Amino acid sequence: MNSAVTSIKLVLLGEAAVGKSSIVLRFVSNDFSENKEPTIGAAFLTQRVNINDNTVKFEIWDTAGQERFASLAPMYYRNAQAALIVYDVTKPQSFIKARHWIKELHEQANKDMIIALVGNKVDVLENNEDERKVAREEGEKLAEEEGLLFFETSAKTGLNVTETFVAIGEKIPLKTAGDQETDSNGVAISDEQRIDLANSGNAAGQTAGCSC
Amino acid sequence: MSFFASLREKAPFLDRISETFTPVLTRDEKFKLEYKLPKGENILDDINADLSFLHPSTRSRNGKSPVSPKAQQMAVVFSGKVYLTPHFILFKDIFDQSSCVLILNISTIKRVERSPSASYSCALLVTLYSGTQILFQFIGLKYRSEQFCELLKAKLRENIPNAKTLPKFLDTCYSEFLIRKNILGLKDTQPPRAGLGQQFKYPGNPVLAREKAKLRLWFEYFRENGRHLSLMKNPTFHKLIRVGVPNRLRGEIWELCSGSIYLRYANPGEYEKLLIDNKGKPSQAVDEIEKDLKRSLPEYSAYQTENGIQRLRNVLTAYSWKNPDVGYCQAMNIVVAGLLIFMSEEQAFWCLNNLCDIYIPGYYSKTMYGTLLDQKVFEAFVDEKLPVLWEYIVKHDIQLSIISLPWFLSLFFTSMPLEYAVRIMDIFFMNGPKSLFQVALAVLKINSDDILQADDDGMFIAIIKNYFQTLDQSAHPDSPDMKYRQITKFQELLVTAFKEFNVITEQMIYQERSRHEKTIFQNIETFVKRTQLRHMPRTFHLTDDNLSNIYDIYYNSIESHKISMGTGSSNMNFDIFVQFLSKICDWCKPCERDSDPAFRKQKSGFLRRLFDDWDTASIGELTLNDVVSGLDKLVTPDLLESINYFFSLYDSDNDGELHREEVLQLSEGLLLLTEPWKSGRYVDLLTKKSIEDDIAENIAKEKIIEETNNGDSADISMEQIELPTGVTVDEEKYRAEQAERYLKAASNFLQRSFEYAQSLDIAEEVDLIDLSDSDDGETNQEDKLQKKKKKYESIKANAALDPTHPKVIDLATFRMIILADETYELFFAKTFRLSIHVDESVQSDNNKNNALRGMFDGILADGRRVAEQVRRRVDSVATRNSMSSVDSQTGGSLQATVNTDKYDDMDDFTSDQQLEHEELLNNPWVDVDDAVDGKEPVRQERAIQALPPQLADHDLIEFEA
Repeated sequence: MNSAVTSIKLVLLGEAAVGKSSIVLRFVSNDFSENKEPTIGAAFLTQRVNINDNTVKFEIWDTAGQERFASLAPMYYRNAQAALIVYDVTKPQSFIKARHWIKELHEQANKDMIIALVGNKVDVLENNEDERKVAREEGEKLAEEEGLLFFETSAKTGLNVTETFVAIGEKIPLKTAGDQETDSNGVAISDEQRIDLANSGNAAGQTAGCSC
Repeated sequence: MSFFASLREKAPFLDRISETFTPVLTRDEKFKLEYKLPKGENILDDINADLSFLHPSTRSRNGKSPVSPKAQQMAVVFSGKVYLTPHFILFKDIFDQSSCVLILNISTIKRVERSPSASYSCALLVTLYSGTQILFQFIGLKYRSEQFCELLKAKLRENIPNAKTLPKFLDTCYSEFLIRKNILGLKDTQPPRAGLGQQFKYPGNPVLAREKAKLRLWFEYFRENGRHLSLMKNPTFHKLIRVGVPNRLRGEIWELCSGSIYLRYANPGEYEKLLIDNKGKPSQAVDEIEKDLKRSLPEYSAYQTENGIQRLRNVLTAYSWKNPDVGYCQAMNIVVAGLLIFMSEEQAFWCLNNLCDIYIPGYYSKTMYGTLLDQKVFEAFVDEKLPVLWEYIVKHDIQLSIISLPWFLSLFFTSMPLEYAVRIMDIFFMNGPKSLFQVALAVLKINSDDILQADDDGMFIAIIKNYFQTLDQSAHPDSPDMKYRQITKFQELLVTAFKEFNVITEQMIYQERSRHEKTIFQNIETFVKRTQLRHMPRTFHLTDDNLSNIYDIYYNSIESHKISMGTGSSNMNFDIFVQFLSKICDWCKPCERDSDPAFRKQKSGFLRRLFDDWDTASIGELTLNDVVSGLDKLVTPDLLESINYFFSLYDSDNDGELHREEVLQLSEGLLLLTEPWKSGRYVDLLTKKSIEDDIAENIAKEKIIEETNNGDSADISMEQIELPTGVTVDEEKYRAEQAERYLKAASNFLQRSFEYAQSLDIAEEVDLIDLSDSDDGETNQEDKLQKKKKKYESIKANAALDPTHPKVIDLATFRMIILADETYELFFAKTFRLSIHVDESVQSDNNKNNALRGMFDGILADGRRVAEQVRRRVDSVATRNSMSSVDSQTGGSLQATVNTDKYDDMDDFTSDQQLEHEELLNNPWVDVDDAVDGKEPVRQERAIQALPPQLADHDLIEFEA
C-alpha cells in the first residue's frame, strides 16, 4: 500500500436546500439529520478514503446555498481540484442553478478541475416516481456535454455518496510516496470529525438539521 | 470620535466607482450617526450652555422647593453645548464628551420655565415627566439665547401630541419598572414584556454573574442620571456596560446604545402594522426564513417551542418587508434569535433596523458587499497588527475568512457560547463595529502560538473551535498565583480585545474600507454581471459582447439600482427606457425636433408601443431580459423579419391587418424612425455610396486627364491612388438629396398604402399620385422640399382620413410597399439595424458621429473602397478608350458591370438573405423594384423620375394580378 497521502481540495456548490451539507455529513460521518443549522459562509471538513491502495484525503469546502452567498463562492473554489455541483432531482430550478455553476466553474476555476454533477434526493422517488422533475437522462446529457462525472445520490440512504467521492479520487493523479508532505498527516484533528464553523458555539446537544 | 459612516449614507457616492470614495458626511449626518438619532433629527440650533442635573432625590433631600440656590450649587455643573433637533435636546460636555452626554426626547419634558440668573444671559429650568429637573444656563449673547429659546418653544409645542404616547411607552421600559417599583413603591407593578429569557431563562448562571448586584447599580444609575428617553451618559454608564449588563436590562441597554429606542418611540405601531399588512403574502424572503426558523440557536429551549419560533418568524418577516433590499440573509436568523432572548419583538425589530443600517451596513445585503469588505479590512488589520501570524497564514494558504466570516456575519453568536456572545454584544452596541474587529484580533492573538503550528484550514478551525468552547476555563491554569489562575479565558479575551486592540479605531476601519472598496465593488460587479449574463434569454442576433454592452448601458440608465450593493429595483420604467434607448439608438437620440410637440408625441407614441411590446409580464416595467429579447428582435439582419416585426407593432389586435388608423400611426412611426436621416444627421448607405462614387469619379477624372496628358496608360495599383486630403464635400447637396429621398419614400409609402389597401377606389387615388418631380428636377432643392412636404400633407389629409373608404393592409401588402421603395427597403434591411449600437460599450457611446462631415472623414480613413472605385473607373475608361476604337457598343455593357459590382459592394447580406431575396424576387410585385435594383443608387432616383407613368402603371397591374 502506498503510504503517500494525496490531498484533494473539493468544493460543494449548488442551490440552497439541495442537500450539500447532508452529502458531506453522509460521506464524513455516515450520518443524516433532517434539520441542521444553515451554513454561514462555508464549512470545512476532511475525510480520508483508500482508493486503489492509496490514501486520499478530501478537504471539503461546503458552501452556503443561499443565492446571495454566491458572491463568496470564488473564495472557496479558488485552488480547488474538484467540485460537486449538486441539484435536487425534485426541483427543476436547482438544475438550472447547477448549469450556472458549471458555467461559472468552466469560466473561472482551475481548468483541470474534476467536476461531478450530482442529482440528490433520489430517495424521494422511491415511493413516488412522479416527484422526479429532472430526468436522469437530462443530467447525464448535461454531464456528457460538459465533460463531468454524473451521479444520482441520496444523502438520506447513502446511495452513491461514497461512490461519487471515490470516482473523483480516481480521476485525480495520486502522489507517490516521495511527494508526501510532512504536514499532511492530520495529527491534530481527527479526520472523521466534522468541523463546522457555524456550529462551533452550539455544538453541545444540538438537534441540527439542514435542508441545504 | 465620529462613528464610521453608514454605507447607506454613502450609497450615492459609492455607486460610481470612478468617483471619490471618501464620503463627505455633513455635520448633521455625523451628528445623527454619533448619537444614533433617527433620520430627520437635523440640528436646528446650538448654543453653549452650562447644565446641571437635579434628580428628584436631591430635590427631596433639599425640601419641597423646586430649586433652592443651595441645590444648584451642589449639583455638578457641566459646560458644553446644547443642540436642538425636531424631537431632541442634546447636550454634550465640551471638554470631555465622555463625561456627559444628555439625550433628551422633547416629549419627556413636562415644563420649561425661565430661571432667574445673574451670571448668565438666560437660564431655563426644564422639568421632566419624572420630576427630574435640569437647569440650562446659556452662555453668550442674549439675543442668541433668546433665539434658541424661541425655537425650543416652537418645538415643545410641536411635540405635545407625541407626549400622549409617552405613558404607554414607559410601560415597556424595564428601567422605568425598576424606578416605579423601588422608588414609587408600586410593589405590584408588572415587569414589561421582554425577551424570551423572561420565560425560558437567560443564558448563564445568574448567581455567578451577580445579576442582582448589577441590577442595583443600574437602578442607582437610572435614578441619578435619568433613563431611556432622557438619559445622561457618563463614564459610569460605560463602565457598567463593560462589567456586563444584567440580563433583565440587557434588551433596553442594547436599545439605548444602538439608538433603536428612539426609532421605536417615534414609530409606534409600525411593527404591528407591517405584520398585519403583509400577513400571508408570499415572497422569496418568507420562504427562506421559513426554512431557517428551526435552525436558529436550536439549543436554546425557547426555539424548540412554537412561541419562540413565532417571534423569530414575526421579526424576520417584518424586517424583510420593511427593507426589501435586504430581505432575508442567513445569519440574520441567528442574530435575531439572540436579540429576542432579551428583547420584545418590537424592540428586536427596531434594533435589527439600526443594526443593518448603522452598525453593519451591507453585511446582509443581496451582494453581501459589507461582509466581503470587512473581511478584507480584517485581513489588513491582521497583517498590520499580527504580522508573524499573517505571514504564516499566507504561507500556508489558510483561508482566514472561513473562520472569521461567521464571527462578523453572526456577531459571534454561532461561535461562542451564548452567555459570552451577549457580553460581546453589550460592548458592540456601545462602541460600534470596531469591537468586532478588536475581539477577532484578540482571538487570533491569544491563539497565535497554536495557530502557528497549524498547517491547514482544518487544524486552524479546530484550534479556534476548541478555544471558544473553553472560554470559561482559566487562562493561566498553571500559574502558581491563585488570583492569576482565576482569570478566565473570556476575561483575558476582553482585556486583550479592548485594551490591547483599543488602537483599532473607527477611523482606521473607515480608512481601510475605502481602501478596499473599489476592488471589492468591482469584483462584485464583475461577478453579478457574469451571473446575470448567464441568466439571459437565448438571443439569435445579439452576441455575448452585445449583451455585455447592453447590460452596462442598462444598469447605467437605472440610477436607483446599485449593482454592487444589490439595492433598489433593477427594473426599467418607461422614462428610463426612453433614456436607455436614446443611448443606443440613433433615432431615439434627442434632436432639434424634440421641441415640436407633435414630433414628441409621435416619438413617445412609438416608444410606448415598443415598451408595451417588450413588457412581456405586462407590469409596466421592463427587466433586463425583456430588453435583451426586445433588442434581439430589433436587430434582426433578416429583412422580412424586420418588416414583420414593425408591422406587428402596429397590428394591435393581431389580426394580421392594419386599419386606416393603424396605417396612419405606422406611417408616423416610420417618419419618426427615419427622421435622423431625413434631417441629415446621419447618412445611410445609399448616400454614402453616392459620396464615395462622386469622390471616386473626381479622382478618376483627374487620373485620366493625367494619364492622357502623360500618354501613359499603365495599370494603376491601389497604392498609386492618393486620396485627396482636405477635400470639401458639398454637404448640403448630399443632405438635400438624402432628405428628398426619405421624404419621397414617406410620401410614396403613404400613397401606395392607400393605393394597395383593400377595398380601394382606384380612380380616386390615382389622382393623388403625383410623381411630377421629374418635371422640376432642375429647380432648386428648397422648393422641391417644400413641395414635397405639401404634397405629403395633402395626401395624408385626403386619402388617409377619408372615412367613407375603409381600408385594410395586410402583411404581404405592407411588405410589398416597403420593398417597392429602395430607401425603405434598405432601412429595414440595414439602416435601422445599424442605427442600434449594441456593439458599443458605455464609454465609447458618445459622439459616434455619422453626420456628413464625419462621414467624409470616414471615407478617407477607409480609403480603400474609394480607391477601388477609382481604379475601376480608371480601368473602365482605359478599357473603353481602348475598346471604343474597336467596338463602341461594348462600353455600355461595361458600365453596367461596374454598376452591378457597386451594388454588391454595398450589399453584404449573408447568403441566407440572398436566398430570401431570391424568394422575394419571385413574387411578381417585386418586379417593379427589380428594374430599379440593378441600377446605381443615386442615379436610380433619376431613373424613377424618368419613368413615372410606367412605374405607376406597373404597380397597379401587379397588384391586380
